[in-house]
Amino acid sequence: MDAIEVEGLEKRYGKKVQALGGVDLSVGRGEVFGLVGPNGAGKTTLIKALVGALRPSGGRARVLGLDPLKDRPELRRRIGYMPQSPVLYDDLPALENVEFFGAAHGVRGLRERAREALRFVELEERANDPVHTLSGGMKNRVSLACALVHRPEMLFLDEPTAGVDPRLRSRFWAAFRELARGGATLFITTHLMDEAILCDRVAVLRQGRVVVCDEPREILQRGRTRLLVREDEREEERIIGGRAEDLAEALHAYGLRESVSAVSVEADSLEQVVLSIIGEEA
Amino acid sequence: MRRTFVVGRRVLGQLRRNPRFLVLTIVGPLVIVYFLKLFFDTFPEGFDTGRYAVPAAAFIVHFLAFLLCAIALVQERTAGTMERMFINGFRRAEVIGGYVLGFLGLATLQAAVALGEVLWLFELDYDADVLATLFAVVWLLAIASVMLGIFVSTFARKEGQVFPFVPLIILPSVFLSGFLVDVGELPDWAGWLGHAFPVLYANNVIQEMIEPGGTLADVWVNFAVLAGYGLVLLLLASRTLPEVEK
Repeated sequence: MDAIEVEGLEKRYGKKVQALGGVDLSVGRGEVFGLVGPNGAGKTTLIKALVGALRPSGGRARVLGLDPLKDRPELRRRIGYMPQSPVLYDDLPALENVEFFGAAHGVRGLRERAREALRFVELEERANDPVHTLSGGMKNRVSLACALVHRPEMLFLDEPTAGVDPRLRSRFWAAFRELARGGATLFITTHLMDEAILCDRVAVLRQGRVVVCDEPREILQRGRTRLLVREDEREEERIIGGRAEDLAEALHAYGLRESVSAVSVEADSLEQVVLSIIGEEA
Repeated sequence: MRRTFVVGRRVLGQLRRNPRFLVLTIVGPLVIVYFLKLFFDTFPEGFDTGRYAVPAAAFIVHFLAFLLCAIALVQERTAGTMERMFINGFRRAEVIGGYVLGFLGLATLQAAVALGEVLWLFELDYDADVLATLFAVVWLLAIASVMLGIFVSTFARKEGQVFPFVPLIILPSVFLSGFLVDVGELPDWAGWLGHAFPVLYANNVIQEMIEPGGTLADVWVNFAVLAGYGLVLLLLASRTLPEVEK
């Protein structure tokens, strides 16, 4: 059984606003799954529907085999959720924040587990400092510690690295990979394509619909490659497909003649591919 | 029940770490009661200030407990911590129960401070059993006010949305609860409307107890209604607080 199974999930606000327009996707256990899309695409709405914080207007969702609304108490024991902004109690120390959310799950040896979670996000030395004295990146790390203090099977992370500097972002991703190696399934929303490429699979959401769902490498192959060949002082530019076979085929035409003095290849980035996919669907 | 205590402990922890808020909630009633004393000092000698001063202390506690609790809960919603609590498995009744526990201490302190100052400033002298009943009724009113604050907060999505409820709840309490004029002198419908506000029941008990020879036996129904009032609001709030976004 997949960790997440979603069929035709819809969310409408009134008659005019459709946040989710029939989402279909599945996420395997132990997978690091990325949900990308522009602002307003429906990423947070989808994540909230999956954690049982929002009642969908239609469709069906199962998380760890459970209905997010009907099986709320059991589901919430087994998942961890990190909201988009670091939602914490600013007056309380980092450790007490982690302990508070851990206490909801009846975690045994709570103090030690909370310290362990803060150690995991490399913030143990600031455990007793009030959250309002921490930097934005540190608050994000406390928020992540709150989400994983009860060692959930599945983690929902809503833009966990928004506003985080590149060094810290790479630390976050190292932590995500470590969690996945430990058997956890991660469902991560992001609008940063250099993060999406680090996921096992990526779904692109646009206006509440999944327009593509595949491995980042496969999505990249949907892009184009710009091939620039210089032969006898003459430059020729060709646009070819993004697959390795497309490049080989294009080069066959040139053989390896002495006159070909330079060949440069410029492939679309994941961001360009996703933008073109979104554009096609528009 | 365990999680109710967890929320209560957290609310207390936040109150403890917010000295400015704590000082305001304690100094606030003290200052208002002092202004009340200045106001009553302008009245002719022999005026029965006790009839107004003790209910005024109860009213001040009612107003502050209601407002502070409502705002604190709405802040949880706007900050997103309420939603995070629910996603982490806290239930509505546990969150509300935790808030009641957390604010119980504050309400008790406010009741003691406001009542103590009124008795001291106005040089009111009552027997120990009357004093105990007065404290109990102000305390019960404070608890009902905390529940009222919780109940009202369930209808507000932003702090600003709490404020329209203030004149709707507080002003009728002043005019229709027998605090300023006898309820019997009001039109029937207004008299009945007054029964919707907890201050009326608190005032009935207070007026009886500060009368020479007054006994709780004559007003025990008011006492019981005041206790029940809080309980009913607690049940209502635990149904109206949205756990899932619609």
